[in-house]
Amino acid sequence: MKNEKGVKQSGKKFEVFEQTRVSAGDLDGMISGGDGLKERSIAEGKPHLGYSAPVHVRSDDCIEMRRLHRLFGDTKAVDDVSFSVKRGHVFGYIGPNGAGKTTSMRILATLDLPSYGDAFIDGLSCVNDPALVRKRLGFMPDSFGTYRDVNCREYLDFFARAYGLSGAERNQRLRWVLGFTGTEGMAHKPIRGLSKGMKQRLCLGRALIHDPAVLILDEPAAGLDPRARIDLRRMIRDLADQGKTVLISSHILTELAEMCDSVGIIEQGKLLATGSVDEIQRQQADEIELTLRVLDRSSEAAVVLMRLPYVKEVVTDGELLRFVFSGDVKDQAELLALLITQGFPVAECTSHRKSLEDVFLQVTEGLVQ
Amino acid sequence: MAAVVPPVNSPQDAMAGDSVNSSQRRMEKIDAWCERWGDRFNPILVKETRQALKSRQFVITFSLLLFAAFSWTIVGTFSLMPAIYDTPSAPRMMFGYYFVLALPMLLVVPLAAYRSLEGEIDDGTLELLSITALSPKQIVLGKLASAMLQMLLYFVVLFPCISYAYTLRGVDFPTTVALLAMLTLAGILMTIVALFFAPLSQSRTGRVAMLLVVIMLLIGAEWVLGLAAYELITFGNLWANDLDQGIPIVGGVVLLAPALGYLLLTLTAAQLTPPSENRSTKIRVALLLVNASVAAWVSLGSMGTEAVFVMLYFGVGGLMLLWTLASSMLVAESPVLTSRVQRDLPQSFLGRSVLTWLTPGPATGLIFSTLNLFLIAVMAVGTVLVFNGQVTSSFTAREQRMVMQFVFAFVSYLTCFLLLVYGLMRSLRRKNNPRVEVGFAALVVVAVFASVGPYGVQLYFNDFLSFPYSSWQATNWVWTLSSILDGDDCSALVQVIGMVGVFGVCGILVMNSALVRPRRTATPERVRQELEQAKRGQG
Repeated sequence: MKNEKGVKQSGKKFEVFEQTRVSAGDLDGMISGGDGLKERSIAEGKPHLGYSAPVHVRSDDCIEMRRLHRLFGDTKAVDDVSFSVKRGHVFGYIGPNGAGKTTSMRILATLDLPSYGDAFIDGLSCVNDPALVRKRLGFMPDSFGTYRDVNCREYLDFFARAYGLSGAERNQRLRWVLGFTGTEGMAHKPIRGLSKGMKQRLCLGRALIHDPAVLILDEPAAGLDPRARIDLRRMIRDLADQGKTVLISSHILTELAEMCDSVGIIEQGKLLATGSVDEIQRQQADEIELTLRVLDRSSEAAVVLMRLPYVKEVVTDGELLRFVFSGDVKDQAELLALLITQGFPVAECTSHRKSLEDVFLQVTEGLVQ
Repeated sequence: MAAVVPPVNSPQDAMAGDSVNSSQRRMEKIDAWCERWGDRFNPILVKETRQALKSRQFVITFSLLLFAAFSWTIVGTFSLMPAIYDTPSAPRMMFGYYFVLALPMLLVVPLAAYRSLEGEIDDGTLELLSITALSPKQIVLGKLASAMLQMLLYFVVLFPCISYAYTLRGVDFPTTVALLAMLTLAGILMTIVALFFAPLSQSRTGRVAMLLVVIMLLIGAEWVLGLAAYELITFGNLWANDLDQGIPIVGGVVLLAPALGYLLLTLTAAQLTPPSENRSTKIRVALLLVNASVAAWVSLGSMGTEAVFVMLYFGVGGLMLLWTLASSMLVAESPVLTSRVQRDLPQSFLGRSVLTWLTPGPATGLIFSTLNLFLIAVMAVGTVLVFNGQVTSSFTAREQRMVMQFVFAFVSYLTCFLLLVYGLMRSLRRKNNPRVEVGFAALVVVAVFASVGPYGVQLYFNDFLSFPYSSWQATNWVWTLSSILDGDDCSALVQVIGMVGVFGVCGILVMNSALVRPRRTATPERVRQELEQAKRGQG
């Protein structure tokens, strides 16, 4: 593995790597080193040997991943992922199975360590200060993680105690969580008798019990019926409105598009696109489908359109003309002006932008590692 | 619309209402007081108790215990009729009650604790707990406390039966207390052992193997304790009168059991601790505690007449086994520490010189291990020199030399092998990130090669004919140690091997001299603010 060279080099510079940051211990490819090493290696296209950015730089971003790498042997589960999420935003993390979503979320949740790079919650390093990170973090993994012979209230009460809540504060949080997640009616029912939707609500409640600033939700909508999904979407939006920052992964893209302020698309460990849904759509969808209703002489209009450089694949369907348009909004206005000046009676013009699903399919290649 | 007039309460009604209100207030006060107390308990204990009391396993075990105790009371009493009125009949009844109680205490409760911790890992709840404010140690102690609470409940059920047996005469009060104390202590220790095994294996097959090992250990403990209980009930508490038996046993219970229990609990917590944390220091402290307790136990032997050297054999033998295992793993630790762990390390020259050996890392592990091995050797030799001639079972001069040579030879060989393991692990870490257990495997490989290698070579050159021990077999530790035990004088060889070990360790110390240099790891401003805020909150 190429990265080992880095370990050797950094091993010689023991002082240096101790004073810079190290993504600790039990890792397959431990990489650490000084600044110069990293700059050189990136320039040479070699694996990075160090991390140049200061560890703790005050930032307004509530969640931040910096050059995150996670190697499992030769497999790069997370490969140089960097992005940030602003306070009070909902960030959708999209990718096929095995893309590296869960791995990077686990690193954020301080359950795993990066091979290189770091993740920050509220400006605190997940590698170096996990205990401080955990106080501000609510994590909901893709498994329920429930106990036998315990009812819902006892379950939440246990986690409240585990987070150090006591007395009136604990009871108040319990009441709020039961109310918010709509599980008051289930409070004294055993967990094993709950439906999947109710268990999901309970687990969301568990993640919220200590009033964290950041929520990391791994596939919370998986296997839920439409109503439960709508309820979950509403709850997540409510939480964002209360100022909580949410990182959510899901396969149900239409829902994410409605719920998220920004999304990141990841495949084979690499972050392929990131930004708001509209931005990504704009970045990725440089072609749109336009439909014109020309009341008369539509075939002649089609011939005129075919001559334009940013028009292709014109299909005539009676009065309707459908074609792929690769120009910008100005070009679109010029096109309409041209048709009208040539006397074509254009009655309607509609455009169809690609959905998040289309963009996802376009960006990803369906590769699985 | 007519106004609703509230009914006028009679004085009696008002008084009754007042008394209801005051009793309600009293109950609320008690409730609040209980809640405040409840908040102080380990959350795991609260959860486990709630869970355990509702579990089918507890209900079945509790019911069976009641039924068995009741049945034995009837059957045992009738079987002793009519002699029960005039003959001491407690031993038989007590023996029956012991077995009724021992089954849940030594088998059911430890196994339930094992399953509980294993279940946390399997169901993914351990991960959820590890991101809460609970420390791994609290999780393990919570499980242990819950098991102890269950034991207490079973014990309370059997208490009237044992009292009944005591009234039948034949088993005195100290014996009854010793029997119950032995059972309770064994139950707690076996629960700690079971908890230690729970996170040991990560694969499914490994888990099944671990479960079988735990069950076998528990059944073994049940059998050994059963024999001890039989002796105790039948022949009475002999330890109180016989110092040579009493000191090792009572001393062992008082000194060794807590130290070993603490070591196992620390090891269990370390297994649950994330790799980014400092897992090593607490283990090293626990190992030091075991050393100290063994030293204290052996020195207790001087109070008896015969026991000191027997205790020395057991104590030093056990310590050598323990350190062989522990040192190979300490030497295999990762040298990489997170900034946070580095911030917690001693910063001054004095602090680093004295306490660095307790901090994680292979070099500190090697030096810590060799220092401890040397101290164990000194303890063994010191005991022999101080007590020889004072007790009736003293050594002859030849035996004395043999013991001293054996101890130093073992320590010297182990030190040399650890140096090789250190080098092997260092090269292995360049391309991999092995677990510390690989260190033990490396030690086994080194030890086997060191003994089989020269033996095989000399056998080949000797045409596969037998040959006597010579200096060519210097690395063959098996032959050297057995020669020493046979009475041969190998002092020159032991000195050479010892010197190799000393020079090697000094070399490692010089190579890693940076470890003791004063160094400060800066705490980021953001983290400093957080910590100060947390401190203010606590204040």
